[in-house]
Amino acid sequence: MDSVLHRLDPRTKLFGTMVFIISLFLSDSLAGYGVATVFLIAAVRLSKVPFKFIVRGLKAIVAILLISVSFNMFLTPGRVLFQLGFLKLTWEGLRMAGFMALRLIYLVIGSSIMTLTTTPNELTDGLEKSLGFLNKVGMPVHEVAMMMSIALRFIPILVEETDKIMKAQMARGADFESGNLIQKAKSMVPLLVPLFISAFRRATDLAMAMEARCYRGGAGRTKMKPLHYAGRDRVTYGVYAVYLAAIVATRVLVG
Amino acid sequence: MGIIKASRLIYDYIRRDEEEHIEEVSRAIDELTLDIKKGDFVAILGHNGSGKSTFAKQLNGILLPTDGTVWISGMDTRDDGHIWDIRKTAGMVFQNPDNQIIGNIVEEDVGFGPENLGVPTDEIWRRVDESLAAVGMTAYRLKSPNKLSGGQKQRVAIAGVMAMKPECIILDEPTAMLDPNGRKEVIATLHDLNKKEGITVLLITHYMEEVTGADRIIVMDDGRLVMDGTPKEIFSRVKELKSYRLDVPQVTELAWELKEAGVPLPDGILSREELMEKLLPLLKAAVSGNKNGEVAEECRSGQNI
Amino acid sequence: MSIRAEHLNYLYGAGTVYEQYALKDVSFEISDGEFVGLIGHTGSGKSTLIQHLNGLLRAASGALYYNGENIYQEGYDMKALRSKVGLVFQYPEHQLFEVDVFSDVCFGPKNQGLSREDVEQRAREALTQVGLPERLWSQSPFELSGGQKRRVAIAGVLAMRPEVLILDEPTAGLDPKGRDEILDEISALHRDRHMTIILVSHSMEDVARYADRLMVMNQGEKLFDGPPKAVFRHYKELERIGLAAPQITYIVQELRENGVPISDDITTVEEAKQAILKLLHS
Repeated sequence: MDSVLHRLDPRTKLFGTMVFIISLFLSDSLAGYGVATVFLIAAVRLSKVPFKFIVRGLKAIVAILLISVSFNMFLTPGRVLFQLGFLKLTWEGLRMAGFMALRLIYLVIGSSIMTLTTTPNELTDGLEKSLGFLNKVGMPVHEVAMMMSIALRFIPILVEETDKIMKAQMARGADFESGNLIQKAKSMVPLLVPLFISAFRRATDLAMAMEARCYRGGAGRTKMKPLHYAGRDRVTYGVYAVYLAAIVATRVLVG
Repeated sequence: MGIIKASRLIYDYIRRDEEEHIEEVSRAIDELTLDIKKGDFVAILGHNGSGKSTFAKQLNGILLPTDGTVWISGMDTRDDGHIWDIRKTAGMVFQNPDNQIIGNIVEEDVGFGPENLGVPTDEIWRRVDESLAAVGMTAYRLKSPNKLSGGQKQRVAIAGVMAMKPECIILDEPTAMLDPNGRKEVIATLHDLNKKEGITVLLITHYMEEVTGADRIIVMDDGRLVMDGTPKEIFSRVKELKSYRLDVPQVTELAWELKEAGVPLPDGILSREELMEKLLPLLKAAVSGNKNGEVAEECRSGQNI
Repeated sequence: MSIRAEHLNYLYGAGTVYEQYALKDVSFEISDGEFVGLIGHTGSGKSTLIQHLNGLLRAASGALYYNGENIYQEGYDMKALRSKVGLVFQYPEHQLFEVDVFSDVCFGPKNQGLSREDVEQRAREALTQVGLPERLWSQSPFELSGGQKRRVAIAGVLAMRPEVLILDEPTAGLDPKGRDEILDEISALHRDRHMTIILVSHSMEDVARYADRLMVMNQGEKLFDGPPKAVFRHYKELERIGLAAPQITYIVQELRENGVPISDDITTVEEAKQAILKLLHS
């Protein structure tokens, strides 16, 4: 997939996500959410990502959503609309719950757009460069970014390995399902020990391979794909400014 | 002096107990002296535990000699100031293809070495393009390494080394975890690099079929260099090879067995063509000299099994 | 005793766009005491197939009988099946986890619910069968050499006293002598203990030497099934699917093309030597 959003600098997208999240917490009126909705729809359309991929992330928050919505609905004091025993549904509560739900849903959709249009590599690069200033206070930013990127590479390999060891132990009669909690924990030993050993062996091998290819930390390193802001990034930052101003305006004027 | 030179090299693995007292010393390399000429394709053979991998790790300073000296392009590996030059000159490819690929995308992995060397961005791209082309992996440049076959992963690893512009590549059992097709791919790639780019190749392996095309074969046993010569010379000493837990390709073995049984064949036959050339005249003479049909009879009955 | 597979199908990623047959209508019967070589290139479905034979994977359709009993019927004891059909995975040393060799080999029989005495008896027997010297039994498995670790792992499966032993490339990464030693031990289990062996291998030379039947897999389908000599006659088709016959087959073929009357079912060095000597001395 390719779109304007895909081609944006990852830093621009990271910053944009941050701006969007802040704007959600600034909005407290229908007008505010209206502006946010326009912004979000525009982003979804520009990303060309099918809508069903974007809403997939919502599944994970359904429970949280329901809980917080019901808490807000019934526990906010104010004008009572409906009463059932000690539960009072108030007008203020309804309003609050509505905004709350929108905020959560928009948050998830907003960050989904970012992760769906940015490869994990771009994301680590973007974070490394954006957080580069932390280097000055002694944070090993490059090293952390390198670790993230290596973790990304090895997760699928270790998942596959787990499956393989599990099957090998099952072929020797191991049982990972039945038994009480203690028995289950005990039955994990034949899985976890080989997995740890393998992970450490891979780590040693990889460290050796990296050294053999002259890796010596971030200092003096050049980049194959350095991050450069292009014209579209500058335009996007302009859009962010306008958007944030509009949100603030709704707060000042309407509120 | 050749590109790789070792003089009376000794390496001991030292095992210590909790209080750092020496518990056990095992000698992995024992007074090894060796000189490898630039541009050669050299194979090192040896059974598991013969010290060949330890030797490989000496060649780019991952391990340092206990005694004796190793020079890469004239640089002593114990000289701290040259360590990065040595690693750049003598690139290394390891056994497990998964555990040496760092990047999440093929081209980014190939660029990892040059990035570490501080090569400017434009030059990195040029090198990545060239290296991927040299190993025939250009079509896969944007793929995730996890989606590649074992042979392809090893070719990516070789490209990653090539991008550092080494003079020599050391490969520590690069084919041990591959299937036969993957093995062929990797070996063909190495011969290609050796011929077209003039890269010195040092291939460590225990697959005999892979070394018949080498310029020189070195056999290690117990940390010592026990045989050194051309494939022809080495493979004519079948008994000796077997005593070092090694083997010979089936063609060579058949020729040797026949020779032992009194058939007049030369030593060290390596290829099918060679065997045919020498064996066919003998067989034709025997068959045409024998017109009573006994042989043909023998053969027909054999076919019915 | 036998394994009978009828029209096995297995899909990867069923229901998605990536749906792909890993096994496609595979049927065969393996009888007691056979030594079967299973060959095919990476991704041909052979690893998927062997995992069906001890119930680790379940076919999407088709039936699998062990000793005449359908293993997919309700209430079939899979755990019992797994101890009868022993499966040694590729690089089995990666599954070792105990503090010493002996305890690790005890893991299988212990899971079978045997008494302590029986468990130890079986472990001793298995370690002896794979030829691991007794002085190593109390050592940590992680301090052994590659070949020794491999033996311990194989013993770990043998200790369950399986009737069928399946090995997925048991010689991968071993040097020539180590390879021959392992294969000879497997061959001894077949000869002396009448164990049914299924050997997955990439090496045509190895299967030609040891197996009395070959099954060739390609893209999830069974392509050839028969004695090695018969299968290797199809060497041209084998090449087309990325495999090859043993080197000796090619030598024999070339001799025949040049008018030498030599039988085309020769597949090992020893057979070739005998045949050529006979021709020369006639």
